[in-house]
Amino acid sequence: MKNLSSALWVEFLKGRRSKVPFFTALGFSIVPLIGGLFMIILKDPEAAKSMGLISAKAQLTVGVADWTAFFNLIAQAVAVGGAILFAIVTAWIFGREFSDHTAKELLALPTPRATIIGAKFIVIAAWTFTLSLFVFGFGLVVGKLVVIPGWSTELMQTAFVDILGSAVLTIILLPFVALVASMGRGYLPAFGWTILTVAMAQIAAVTGWGDWFPWSIPALFSGAVGPRVTQLGLHSYVIILLASMIGLAATFYWWRNADQTK
Amino acid sequence: MNYAIETNGLSKFYGDVRAVNSVDLRVGIGEIYGFLGLNGAGKTTTIRALLGMIRPSEGNVRVLNQVLGAGGRGPWSRVGHLVESPAAYPELTVCENLDIARRLHGIQNQKTVDDVMDKLSIASYADRKAGTLSSGNFQRLGLARALLHSPELLILDEPSNALDPAGIVEIRELLISMAREHGTTIFMSSHILTEVNLLADRIGIIHKGKLIEELDAARLEELRSKQLVIGARNMDKARDALNGFDVTALDDGRLGIKDARAIEAPEMIATLLVNAGTPPIHLAIEQENLEEYFLRLTQ
Repeated sequence: MKNLSSALWVEFLKGRRSKVPFFTALGFSIVPLIGGLFMIILKDPEAAKSMGLISAKAQLTVGVADWTAFFNLIAQAVAVGGAILFAIVTAWIFGREFSDHTAKELLALPTPRATIIGAKFIVIAAWTFTLSLFVFGFGLVVGKLVVIPGWSTELMQTAFVDILGSAVLTIILLPFVALVASMGRGYLPAFGWTILTVAMAQIAAVTGWGDWFPWSIPALFSGAVGPRVTQLGLHSYVIILLASMIGLAATFYWWRNADQTK
Repeated sequence: MNYAIETNGLSKFYGDVRAVNSVDLRVGIGEIYGFLGLNGAGKTTTIRALLGMIRPSEGNVRVLNQVLGAGGRGPWSRVGHLVESPAAYPELTVCENLDIARRLHGIQNQKTVDDVMDKLSIASYADRKAGTLSSGNFQRLGLARALLHSPELLILDEPSNALDPAGIVEIRELLISMAREHGTTIFMSSHILTEVNLLADRIGIIHKGKLIEELDAARLEELRSKQLVIGARNMDKARDALNGFDVTALDDGRLGIKDARAIEAPEMIATLLVNAGTPPIHLAIEQENLEEYFLRLTQ
């Protein structure tokens, strides 16, 4: 892609200068912190009883205080919270060009539009994957500080695959958020789309069609509702890859051909 | 002949609305072309089509001898533009915003950013966040981005917007020097008629999507109607003395004569009035101003 390094530099500069990376990291850091809090409560049942509702919620969600439960909680939060937080990142990267009226400055340039869009997707992937790594790493730190029982290297490796794999599957569906932010020329339509897909994913999973619905697949992969071999099949991975490619192609096509009037 | 801009039957329809309707533009190389029109006349739609931002419903656009292709492909390294209001990333500094443009234009020399900031008198704001600039300086930033790569063709939509009177003169002189000294072609839209009149070599007037008039600036001078305006102490007597002419009473009570004989020989009118015993206290040839001419054309 012509001028890709310049376009990447530009997109990274925009990200670096904004407060969005800080707030997304801050938002995601809540996940291990809440997990750590639940572990503290579960480690001491007497104290948990005296804490009322919070401990009851902790019992319901996690059950026992061990690394398996802790990683499960993080995996669930990344699967569902990631879909929302990563969508915010994507909606910001694409939607801001319309909110700040800068989209028109990206169109008649020697750097092709496809290069600029490609750079945006690369930054989104790098940013959201880094966030996922951060949550996993921060989770390990919190877990060690809380001194959760049941640690093993194998367990950590499995959790790494579950959490990061689920994050990657969430990330590859982000082109649809980019497409909706572009077509809707702003952030709000993309947020609406995200809420819709999160809700639909829940319905598809509950009705047993989750393995066929792209937006249910990341959560099923995370192992949050059971071993993924029983939840997903080869068709699930084919579907999510196809959906990703359709989203990417549609976004590039839109930027190439749509009338830019804003 | 080679043109910097050439459109053939350029049309853009939005449903039943014909935003631009069969516009044939020819802008010569090195020319300053003023594109006039009321709000909603089709100026910005035309400009967006010239920049490949919208696809024509009919017709085609050729810019610097290149037909604009699918995906907005065009000779953009040689074209600078400012479409509607300027835009910049508010959390980035003036310098960073221009550096973004420099990189996306593939310009290696970082000094181009300093040079263009000096040219547009915004060097002192280099480290100021764009979001905190006054509207006038924001406009200058937009113009700086358009001029950054020393383009052969400048397409500017309302370049004087938000500038103070001194800024308007400064930008006008800058654009004139670019055209005269460097041969830059300038296509600028505006609704500030006097500004266009002072800058443009040729003027196109678009109304309801159609190019209704295209003429040289000198020809525009000729077309604007003239009249001899007469004031006297006794206007009724003066009117009687001029009964051989087509005299109209003006709103301010004076008389106006559009007759060529009167305009060419006002002293003859003065003699007539003196002989009738009502010597003129005001006798002047007044030319229809640009606004009046424009409104006459578009109504």
